[in-house]
Amino acid sequence: MYKNSNSFITLMSGSKIFLQQVRALLAKDLKTEWRTREIFTSMFVFAVLVVVVFNFAIGADTELIRQVASGVIWIALSFASVLGFQRTGQMESEEDSLQGILLALHDRSALFIAKMLAQMLYLLILVLCILPLCGIWFRIDFMTCIGELCATFTLGMLGLSIIGTFFGMIALRTRACEVMLPMLFLPVSIPLTIAAVQATTQLIDGKSLRDIADYLVLIGIFDIVFFFLVIIVFDYIVEE
Amino acid sequence: MQKWWSIMFFLMIFPLIYLCINRVFHAIVMYITMNVAIMLVFIYAPTEKMQGIVQKIFYFHVSSAITMFFAFFLVCVASIMYLWKNSDWWDAIALSAAEIGVVFCTLVLITGPLWARPIWGTWWSWDPTLTLTLVLWLIYVAYLMLRIETYDPKRARFAAVLGIIGFVDVPLIRWSVEKWRTLHPKPVLIQEGGTTGLTSAMLLTFLVCLGAFLLLFFYLLRERISVAQSRHALEVLRHDIDEIGVG
Amino acid sequence: MKNFWYLFAAYSTIWTALYVYMIRLSQKNKELQAELRDLRAQLERVLTK
Repeated sequence: MYKNSNSFITLMSGSKIFLQQVRALLAKDLKTEWRTREIFTSMFVFAVLVVVVFNFAIGADTELIRQVASGVIWIALSFASVLGFQRTGQMESEEDSLQGILLALHDRSALFIAKMLAQMLYLLILVLCILPLCGIWFRIDFMTCIGELCATFTLGMLGLSIIGTFFGMIALRTRACEVMLPMLFLPVSIPLTIAAVQATTQLIDGKSLRDIADYLVLIGIFDIVFFFLVIIVFDYIVEE
Repeated sequence: MQKWWSIMFFLMIFPLIYLCINRVFHAIVMYITMNVAIMLVFIYAPTEKMQGIVQKIFYFHVSSAITMFFAFFLVCVASIMYLWKNSDWWDAIALSAAEIGVVFCTLVLITGPLWARPIWGTWWSWDPTLTLTLVLWLIYVAYLMLRIETYDPKRARFAAVLGIIGFVDVPLIRWSVEKWRTLHPKPVLIQEGGTTGLTSAMLLTFLVCLGAFLLLFFYLLRERISVAQSRHALEVLRHDIDEIGVG
Repeated sequence: MKNFWYLFAAYSTIWTALYVYMIRLSQKNKELQAELRDLRAQLERVLTK
């Protein structure tokens, strides 16, 4: 059996074929999504629903809503992302095209990176759509700290994408995949949730980058550690 | 003085467990240690001035917590070995350690509130270690569910990966919960003071309890591994019989 | 003895849980060993036929 090269080494060497394949897979996923817009629409609608329901559940106290706003946004994003991860993993399961793609790849982790980047893109666009709505509904001005917010959300969405895409591909092979994916992914991403929500809350309260530096460092370490860990074990997941 | 005592005790426990090659011998040693532990807890250890008799929960609570951490560490190591060597024995160790770890984890989560309620006045106080235990419980229950729910024959691999990821996450969870905790008000002690520190009698009792729990863990691990291996042997046998029947 | 019942509840939970688990394990073990023996005997019979 043809043994694929070690993912870690390939990644580090930045081989040209690898980058080409990642680009190709990413383009395929994005094109499919652009035609149907299925994944993004369901994520957006679900996120909006969560925010609205939370709004009603919390009540009319403006001050209280302002305090919990970042938590609500993050929960809406997490739960919406679960939908996205499931759909992304499912894209290859029809007609078993997964095996075909894997055989064609020089290095299997290209598939993972492509999917993860696609997911991250959807999530970032989702953030761009949800933040203005939340600014209006919760009466928060996000523009004052927009730069730091971008940094926080980018790092956070990266972390979510890494963990979520990976567990999405695992959960797909289980009998109760809609249940297993949140069960696997939410506990593991708790450090991410805690740090991201705290950073956002402090940014809304007017703190500067220096104050939230700790949280960003935590999210950054989370991203790096899990990125490399997942790349190393990805081969074992998809090997037959 | 105390530190040397505890280190020496620890160094003696592991060869003792290793020497328990014989299952019956292991069971006897475990039984004796457990009995000695209980005697020490209830009769020898002094009742703490501030917390009263409820403090005695601490001995088994913390021993369970340490055993649970060790169990999950073993899951991580066994998962890495399984992915590397692809041997079923390591897979059996990972599964057994995870299951027993979840049992001990549940015990920590039950005895923790039972200790906290009379002392702090609330059942749960989002203490960093207890919160970490809760998150670990969620992760490893998901591990067990993944084992049961996956229909793909690679289920042992999926579980191994989760075992590694779950344990690697521990320092991150600990760090983030501690940062989060600084914003959370600490519950006020109902009884003033709190722990006055461990006297040497208490330390001895604690170490014996810890030793008893570790021996118990290895005994349960042994039993559970034999169940896992029997199941696997059964599967192989059934497969063989099917093949012969068909062929 | 203040708060005795908390102590009692904690220890009895630990004991019950550990005992139940141990008993379940040994039962499972016995069942599996019996099944293994039966299946092996069956295999012998099929092979020697």
